[in-house]
Amino acid sequence: MNKNFDTTDCYVVEGKLALPYTYFAGRVGSTFITTIRDKQKIMGVKCNTCDKVFVPPRQTCERCLEDIRDNWVELKNTGEVVNFTVVRYDDKHLPRKAPFVLAMIRLDGADTPMVHILEGVDLDKVQTGMKVKAVFAEKTTNTILDIDHFKPLK
Amino acid sequence: MSEFYGIKVEDIFKSMTDRFRPEGAANITTTFGYSIKNIGSWKLTIANGTMALKTTDDLSGCDVVLDTDGETFVGLNIGKVDAMSAFTSRKLKVQGDFNTFGLTSRMFQKYMTPGQETRQEQELITLKKTISVKQRFATGPVFGKFLKGLKEKKILAIKCPECGRLQSPPRETCAICRVKNEEWVEIGPKGEMRMMEYCYYASPDPLTGETRETPYGAIGILLDGCKDEEVFWHLLRPDQLNDVKMGSVFKGKVRHGTRLRPVWNETRKGNIEDIRYFEIDE
Repeated sequence: MNKNFDTTDCYVVEGKLALPYTYFAGRVGSTFITTIRDKQKIMGVKCNTCDKVFVPPRQTCERCLEDIRDNWVELKNTGEVVNFTVVRYDDKHLPRKAPFVLAMIRLDGADTPMVHILEGVDLDKVQTGMKVKAVFAEKTTNTILDIDHFKPLK
Repeated sequence: MSEFYGIKVEDIFKSMTDRFRPEGAANITTTFGYSIKNIGSWKLTIANGTMALKTTDDLSGCDVVLDTDGETFVGLNIGKVDAMSAFTSRKLKVQGDFNTFGLTSRMFQKYMTPGQETRQEQELITLKKTISVKQRFATGPVFGKFLKGLKEKKILAIKCPECGRLQSPPRETCAICRVKNEEWVEIGPKGEMRMMEYCYYASPDPLTGETRETPYGAIGILLDGCKDEEVFWHLLRPDQLNDVKMGSVFKGKVRHGTRLRPVWNETRKGNIEDIRYFEIDE
């Protein structure tokens, strides 16, 4: 590209910015993760006003603004793919090497989907409506990856 | 009935039966006496993993007797008062072996106010991370020329064609006259100390996460060829923080500061750290 000024002295300094941070899962989020880790059970919270079951769980119902933090309900480890995408690039924050599938999975007993990794199926065979099952991680990381991935329920 | 921290002394005694842990009381046989000033006296008997509590005025047969006021007693039970400091400040008196009372923490679960039981201690999850963000800084022609100058051990300033002031690090325009700066001047490299910030807290370098040693001196140096407030900011050699004198101009009267010279790095990459710091020039 032509520039209308002398670029002899222009150059680019490559740098890196380190951003330290602490993420707090919150009381509801902590219970969600410790239950997955210790009991291998996925829990959601239910709003008693609109009867919706949220997972990942939340403190307040987004529709009714009810406090629902204590209304835990146990969900099944199986669910249905409601949407998905194929990740085709690598980046440090991604949990797997590309290509892999990130799917929105509505667990049986829940009304909202959660995003997780879908494995054990060819990229071109993934379909919405597929039945899938959670596979729990052997080693805990104290994150949502204590569910290692979901796999097709055959 | 009087309350302390919103809790009645009687309630703490009443709840003892429920809070009793037989496994913590195994092999302990002791009688405890509690004398709470202006409120009452209680006698607690522990034997063979069982407990018996009664209100009494006669604490004569007890192995240990705790003598205190209601506020200290409630404070101890809910963790607001430290037993040792209450003891040393004479708010808490013990007849018998003081350490025997330490056993009660094993024999009873902690007292909780009604409603607190449901809020049991929960494991809370936090995640500490450091994310690394790549960034690119395009110097542009003006700042680029300045950085290239540092590589060649030159400190360059840019001059305003109207007011004649020098800026280093340089800017493309003079913000006072709003004209484009064109002329380059080499300044320094030696100069005199004008001011110093004595820094006790160093924020981490965003590029490396490392923190500079404190205290350090961020100094304004009036490099040779500059005048008034045309100071250049850099660092002072850390061991010379207390050996420098600041210069000033007050009502036209000039007081000269300590003479300083830059210390250059052997390998220079074209950034401001090509000058390691300034040191006293003698």
